[in-house]
Amino acid sequence: MGWNFTVAKGGVLGSLLAMLVAGTMYVIISLCASELGSATKLAGGPYDWARLFIGPGAAASVGLAVYMEYIALEAADAIVVAFIAQSIFPELQVFPVTLLVIALLTFINYRGVVAALTLNFVLTMIAFIAIVVFFFATAFGTVNIHPEYLFQGALPNGMIGLFAALQFGPWFYLGIEGAAMCAEECKHPSRAVPLGQQAGMITLLIGAAMTLYLCAVLIPADLLGVSVYPLFEAAQNSGIFIFVALLGLGTFLTCVASANGCVCDSSRSWFALSRDNYVSSWFSAVHPKYNTPYRAVIFTVPVAIGFAFSGFLDQVITFSIISGLLCYVLIPFSLIRFRKLFPQTTSRVRPFVGPLQPYIAYFAIVIAITILSTLFWGYKYNLIFAFVFYGIAYFYFSHRHKSSNIENNWTEMGWPLPRGSENVRTGKEAMGLGDE
Amino acid sequence: MNNHATKSKYHRKLNGDTVLVVGMLVLLVSVEGFIIYKILAETWEIAGNFFYLYVIFVGLIVVIETIGCLRVRESIKNHMFEFKYYD
Repeated sequence: MGWNFTVAKGGVLGSLLAMLVAGTMYVIISLCASELGSATKLAGGPYDWARLFIGPGAAASVGLAVYMEYIALEAADAIVVAFIAQSIFPELQVFPVTLLVIALLTFINYRGVVAALTLNFVLTMIAFIAIVVFFFATAFGTVNIHPEYLFQGALPNGMIGLFAALQFGPWFYLGIEGAAMCAEECKHPSRAVPLGQQAGMITLLIGAAMTLYLCAVLIPADLLGVSVYPLFEAAQNSGIFIFVALLGLGTFLTCVASANGCVCDSSRSWFALSRDNYVSSWFSAVHPKYNTPYRAVIFTVPVAIGFAFSGFLDQVITFSIISGLLCYVLIPFSLIRFRKLFPQTTSRVRPFVGPLQPYIAYFAIVIAITILSTLFWGYKYNLIFAFVFYGIAYFYFSHRHKSSNIENNWTEMGWPLPRGSENVRTGKEAMGLGDE
Repeated sequence: MNNHATKSKYHRKLNGDTVLVVGMLVLLVSVEGFIIYKILAETWEIAGNFFYLYVIFVGLIVVIETIGCLRVRESIKNHMFEFKYYD
């Protein structure tokens, strides 16, 4: 769900373009994340990269953006799970089920994450196989499709719709950069992060293309644009029981799995902010028995409920996208800074050297800003609110950490000093001597 | 002998990684090509004026992803013995 709002804005052609433009941005972001993740080997991901290579204000903004991106996504997933449950059992109310899903997932993450993430992998794999089988069954004529839907819903709002559709394009791939956040737990991060990130990205590109095609030839564009669970609806329209069952279950389980992963990622981001004293250090406590950041996990509940309480899926999704896009501006920028500070390509500093850099990093920034600008159509107040929110966060945390004067310990990471720091150090020493 | 067996094992595993990525790239090009052809063919009366936008962006995705995957393979090949990837 979420990606199909591109159809409401720009029809099938707008959705296809949004998928390709956002796909180009994400392919580049994946390459940046591969290089940064395999070099730093830190679980904080975008937050740690911004902290190391840009500065405290950017780090806090990215940490908050990752937190908000995932927590809004969790709320959106929980809303969809509740809608699916209601479609099966009409007597159920959406909001109580949403609350129940959020509470249950918080409890699972409070107890530990390994089993939950293994379950995530299995659920997602079942859903992906279901989509692939459904796609090939459709492509080889087993399912009756309606190619006329493609023309009828091609471009309902004209050329402006083509541009406006870009705003929901990131929803096809949102969160894939999180794969690099497993670096700290990998046995060989310099192999696992780039390989896993690229394999994940290709899987998403294939899944996105198949999903768009299946839904576009099985659901009329005007209904597809407002659907809460488009793949399930496409399966229902195919009339084949096995696909209805597989895609219904697949949509339900992947939304649960996605929400579960979001609780994990958002709580780790809040934990990292707390650990580095950006927010109260009270949240950085680790559970003595389950070894989880339990206070940060529990703190996801009120925020997720706040988002879910709005009940407007597009509003929740929009805030998640804006937060994500902020990360997609700062991840390539972190890579540009990383390359400037550490030009060495030794195994210790940079075991994976991404191609075509820094040119494609600049290109990703341009695409992210362009997509942000398209939110002006329909969501300008969300955009203004997000700019004000992250702007205040940036200046507040920059000011607060300037006074605490925390420096990165590069030698502890086994790295040389960054380029230019030798001159700063010599200057400081000279000043110190002068004082004495 | 042992060294030879290790080298052989490493190259076999590297080939496994290569096959995985090449297989996925082939599937990516096939699926993207199929759906873009199908959608543009059905909507050519409208999309004919700006079809080049789709060609440019699908080209960028495929080219950048392919170069990225080649670079991942090269990186694994260069560091596999140093970091003992397949032990």
